[in-house]
Amino acid sequence: MNGAVNLAVAHRLEAKVLLDWFDLTEIEPKKKFRCYGGSEGIALTVTGMGVENAAAGVRHLHDSQPPGFRAWLNIGIAGHDSAALGEGFLIRRIMHRESGELYWPPVTDLKLPGCELITVAEPETGYPEDAAYDMEGAGFFAAAAGLISTDLVYVFKIISDNRENPVANVDPKQVPDLIRGQESAIRKLVSHLRERSARFAGYYGMPVEFDLLLDKYRFSATRKAGLARLCRRFHALGKQDRLTALARERFRDAASLMTAMDAELARTGKPVI
Amino acid sequence: MFSAVYVETEARDHPRARAILERYRDLPQIECERYGQIFNRKAQNFRLQKEYPALILARKHGRKVLPAPGGYGFDAGQSHYFSHMLNCIYDCRYCFLQGMYRSAHCVLFVNYEDFADSIRQTIAAGPGNQVFYSGYDCDSLALEPVSGFAEFFVPFFAEHPAAVMELRTKSTQVAGLLQIDAAPNCVIAMSFTTEAAARRWERNVPSIEKRLAALGRLQDAGWPVALRFEPLLPEADSNAYENLFKLIFSRLRSDRLHSVSTGLFRMPADFFRNTLKLYPDEPLFARETQTENGVVSLQQPNREAWLAELEAALFRHIDPASYYRCAE
Repeated sequence: MNGAVNLAVAHRLEAKVLLDWFDLTEIEPKKKFRCYGGSEGIALTVTGMGVENAAAGVRHLHDSQPPGFRAWLNIGIAGHDSAALGEGFLIRRIMHRESGELYWPPVTDLKLPGCELITVAEPETGYPEDAAYDMEGAGFFAAAAGLISTDLVYVFKIISDNRENPVANVDPKQVPDLIRGQESAIRKLVSHLRERSARFAGYYGMPVEFDLLLDKYRFSATRKAGLARLCRRFHALGKQDRLTALARERFRDAASLMTAMDAELARTGKPVI
Repeated sequence: MFSAVYVETEARDHPRARAILERYRDLPQIECERYGQIFNRKAQNFRLQKEYPALILARKHGRKVLPAPGGYGFDAGQSHYFSHMLNCIYDCRYCFLQGMYRSAHCVLFVNYEDFADSIRQTIAAGPGNQVFYSGYDCDSLALEPVSGFAEFFVPFFAEHPAAVMELRTKSTQVAGLLQIDAAPNCVIAMSFTTEAAARRWERNVPSIEKRLAALGRLQDAGWPVALRFEPLLPEADSNAYENLFKLIFSRLRSDRLHSVSTGLFRMPADFFRNTLKLYPDEPLFARETQTENGVVSLQQPNREAWLAELEAALFRHIDPASYYRCAE
């Protein structure tokens, strides 16, 4: 079962290996944020640096896609006081230093090393806390959490600098290698998120008849919500065939359709098990 | 069982929290200021979270003992409930907790001593024979090896014989209880649904057989044992409840039961709305429902007659005086 996952990176160099792994090509037309997509339900946006760009990049990719349920994963480099260069961490808590806001990405059983992330406005050179430091995580998480359940928003950071190898010495050309070094973890994460987002879409996706009926009749906002509930009840009760049949029939208007749907559901008088 | 342990900064040094953190030393341990930062966040999905629930260790502030809702429980006198834990490690589809909380994580309040103080004060302030229900927002025993809840509160209530504590559970974690003297004022109340309902809607819950075996051992050891048939759900097999009763009363001594109760499937309307949003594909919630006084229940023709029939079947095994319908 494979669902959709959106990846967000700050820099083109972080994207390079991911585009290759997931066979992603640039989506035309090119706009402020470069976006990529592929046939496997994976998309990627290069947001640029900083929390505002990260948030805007997330929203841009979201707005450019058709409605649907997609998990989000931010992948990027970060600094850390003591962690080794190239080490990868699934982030468990994010603090936006400027605002003090805290975010809590989900913890899974993927057995990936985890740590806290502090998102800062300028590259951190002192590494005062036992945490990774980046410039986008908080902006990414806040924006993505506004689009989907926080249980589908993950952040993965790879250490590019530490006390012994300060940020000023990071050679941009090494960034693709840092990402490449975490291939197994990233693939595991993407695969995990695809499964989760597929489950999520399975739980909450609307039956196809819903859109068909919306096209066929005029619904007020209240009736539209009612239609969604009715379509779901048909499916939950295993009466898809009856819904399909009703969708093919011709009713005078939306109200008549919904009355017929109600009557059909009321005929379900059997015990629950 | 858990994916991680969150711990409030102020709870971290409590001996009970320290012991639990040591027990789960291989899990990620994440510090927070208040449990609500994780538990009450918006945009969480209870259903997804149930796949990887975390344990949150916290300190309970404010009122720790609350009046039990009217119609809940076996005693018409003053009754209360207290929740050392929010949420449950089991995953029962009909449970109201999934509509009440935004998070599927389990919050364990480690400051039992403060709960005990509040209970002591409540006992002192009220009339005799007060009842304290412990399994309203959680399963009382399911996490016993970790929480040591009964280990702490049973001896406490044993020292306060005028009060009664009900441990409401579907768990078989009774080893600790069997190692101590039975406390006549601590009632172990086990919940049952029919075999078919349990198979369909109760995940991670011990089988009926195992629950009965645990109850049998408790009864043999002198513990007051009670039966809770909740929620009652209409069954295609008209003999389902009768078969359940036969099985149960072939294993337990009905003359030694503390009490037996039934309760229909029901949920406060706002919890039901939340639950329906979480499980739009669940046939149980897609059925015709009715709302009365803000409580949603399943529409069922001849409900009273069905209940009466069910009660008649029950009374073939028990003394009706020990029975009540839970109306809360």
